[in-house]
Amino acid sequence: MKNNVLDIRAVGKSFPGVRALQNLSMAVGAGEVVAFVGENGAGKSTLLKILSGDYHLDQGQVVLDGVEVSHASPLAARNAGFRLVRQEPEIVPDISVAENIFVGEYPSRSFGRVDFAGLRAEVTALLKRYGFADLIDIDAMGRSLSPAQMHVVEIMRALKPGVKVVAFDEPTSSLTSDEVARLFDLIRKLKAEGLGIVYVSHRLQEVMAISDRVIVLKDGQQTGDLMTADTTEDEIVRLMVGRELIHGFKRQETTRDEVVLKVEGLSSRWHRDISFQIRAGEILGFAGLVGAGRTELAKVIFGEFRRIGGKVTLLGHVSDIRSPADAIRANIGFAPENRKDEGLILVRSVIEIAAMAIYARLARWGVLRTGQMVEAVGPVIRQLEVKTPSLSQEVGKLSGGNQQKVVLARWLAAGPRLLILDEPTRAVDVGAKAEIYRLIDRLASDGMAIMMISSEMPELLALSDRIVVMRDGSLSAPIEKLHATEEAIVALALGSGAAA
Amino acid sequence: MTAGDLNLTNRSPESALSRLTRFVGAENLSLIIALIFLVLAVSSQTEFLFSSRNLFNIGQNMAVVGLIAVGMTLVIVSNGLDISVGSIAGCASVVCALIVTGSGSVPGGLAGGIAIGAVLGLVNALIINYLRVNAVVATLATMSAFRGIAFLIAPEGRPVGVLDPTFALLGSGRFLQMGSFPGVPIAFAILVGVAIVGYFVMSSTVFGRSIYSMGGNPAAARLAGINLNRMRLWIYAISGALSGLAGVIVTARTSSGQPASGTQGLELEAITAVFLGGALLAGGKGTIVGTMLAVLLLAVLSNGMNLLGIPTFYQLVAKGLLLVLAVAIGQWRMAMAEKRQAKLTASGAH
Repeated sequence: MKNNVLDIRAVGKSFPGVRALQNLSMAVGAGEVVAFVGENGAGKSTLLKILSGDYHLDQGQVVLDGVEVSHASPLAARNAGFRLVRQEPEIVPDISVAENIFVGEYPSRSFGRVDFAGLRAEVTALLKRYGFADLIDIDAMGRSLSPAQMHVVEIMRALKPGVKVVAFDEPTSSLTSDEVARLFDLIRKLKAEGLGIVYVSHRLQEVMAISDRVIVLKDGQQTGDLMTADTTEDEIVRLMVGRELIHGFKRQETTRDEVVLKVEGLSSRWHRDISFQIRAGEILGFAGLVGAGRTELAKVIFGEFRRIGGKVTLLGHVSDIRSPADAIRANIGFAPENRKDEGLILVRSVIEIAAMAIYARLARWGVLRTGQMVEAVGPVIRQLEVKTPSLSQEVGKLSGGNQQKVVLARWLAAGPRLLILDEPTRAVDVGAKAEIYRLIDRLASDGMAIMMISSEMPELLALSDRIVVMRDGSLSAPIEKLHATEEAIVALALGSGAAA
Repeated sequence: MTAGDLNLTNRSPESALSRLTRFVGAENLSLIIALIFLVLAVSSQTEFLFSSRNLFNIGQNMAVVGLIAVGMTLVIVSNGLDISVGSIAGCASVVCALIVTGSGSVPGGLAGGIAIGAVLGLVNALIINYLRVNAVVATLATMSAFRGIAFLIAPEGRPVGVLDPTFALLGSGRFLQMGSFPGVPIAFAILVGVAIVGYFVMSSTVFGRSIYSMGGNPAAARLAGINLNRMRLWIYAISGALSGLAGVIVTARTSSGQPASGTQGLELEAITAVFLGGALLAGGKGTIVGTMLAVLLLAVLSNGMNLLGIPTFYQLVAKGLLLVLAVAIGQWRMAMAEKRQAKLTASGAH
């Protein structure tokens, strides 16, 4: 038995309404590459953030090379030897590569002067040691770096003296295949030096290629701990998925003939050649990994982001939506994923949040009486059973589920023909979730066309009439409800072709 | 429909007192209490405070700052700031004096002053919207530029004398004068009229409601269909127009178009009033009622300090401290509210 450099013992972590990690135990040995895989929200990021000291665990213990670091601060975790290579490194644009690598830890001389000569020497040695000296100029400014070079900076930061465990979070998302090969060379070198390596990735081929062991997470629990040599991509996907469907909820298909939204060949900064259509009474589910471009697509359709090419047809008319105001006039509603930043105004009242999008419609000559607002949104708020003492309550004082209901109430009151829902049950507790599902179902039954982006498989499978999968800005052909399985969707989202 | 319908649960009918509290706003009660204390403190030192002539003066002094503060309320609630209001008033003062002396038309002068204010306000909004300069920096820049323009349009940079007696009424006229009662200053009546319109706009129009939305969360307001740029054009134009009107009143009171004197430092007083009136630095909160109470409080404070013979220099220090205090109270309130929310979330309550 190898000695373990990282020991995770019965770790648990909860956020309001969610148990992000439950009783998780695992170990990483010296010279071992352990891959963590799982769907969005399976708990990988939460685990990394606990290890890096960004989050504090609720239960359990983390032991790093014999030292307990369960409640370490980010700095203490670093100093103890845990280093996280982040997916999107923070690079300071106007200082050099050398300074970027040692930012916060400059070697110093008397009177607090930075020892630039010593800094350059250390960085040069570090780059040479790990074979990146030819890839990057240590005097180049941060802003001039390519994504791959930024990654090198981030990796070098991690490999400064004292390192015991390095965790790579989606390290290859911005790399070309040559660069991936170099990264793998590096990882093998680190392995040979006896470091523990944690490798978090959605790309199963890479996981198969580089890891010794795979740990599969699902809904915050471990569902598999497999030797890579003895397993297959198919088996891993099976362990990642296979969740119970939402109990007691069954949606009847209510799709009508009328096409509400037709998108043909749409392109934008994030998208290439996107085509799909949604009929009245239909719920079209959008699956995909975080960052695949689903939220951006919603915002392009809603006029918040620019469409570069392609045609959008609404109710048979070619539409030219350039702003959210245009979209609302065209009878589109959009409940964004990021409620607090984009949906709510925490210091304003429930009634204002709910009525905001229909002010112009409610008013006569620009005059808007509280009474008119109450008539328009009061019944909706009551129908959604929003738990609030009064309509004039500040929305910031409500719970997450009730806040989400208020955002939904806005669009119910507006009565759009097309409703775009981005992660409609994010950070909503279980009870409120079921109510929101029933609501979405009823809206579709009443003839609304619904575009639903969700990273929660059970939700997608239970609610959607058809599902499309987005990956790197492209959209798959729609999967009919009958054929939609988690395996098929995950395979399309990962692009692994494993189970398709 | 009354405000009582906001309650989802059935409660007993509201008492007259709680209705009044709702109109004034709970947070404004502290202002009223502060005002009462201030009045007691000053009147314990001098009897002159309540003399009808002094009350008349307070009313007249309130008008200029008050008009600007109404516009500033819109600006600050929308999460902006307008530091150029004093300079706009200076420009308007000179412009209206030139029109009145040139054409002899009082309405022309009044309209001209308001119009130049609105135009300069639009300039502010254009800079903020399309050059993407933040509001503080943009209006700091125009504060200097507009003041310069005021001196440039005044012949030789000197005040422009206005001898029209009808025009002077705008500044020092009064009505309802009876016996020893000195009457109500016309300028004060204008302020009351503007404040009532302002109250109505902020509470009962799409425009006013949208100001609250955009101030509280611009991203959310955009996604709810509010055109932020267009809103800003109107908000700063209104702030400018009201500053212009304030400039006209300064002209009428001093019988001369003043490029600088009488309009300097108005931005500080107006901004202080708005924050003291309950507006938040982060935007999205603030009311005309609160602002007006704060303007009254500031006017009484300033008057009281004069009556007690406190030197101007100390008054300047006091004004500065008051602005810090006003904003700090708002920030502290926000922090308390966040703490309460955090506790609520932690306990998992609905």
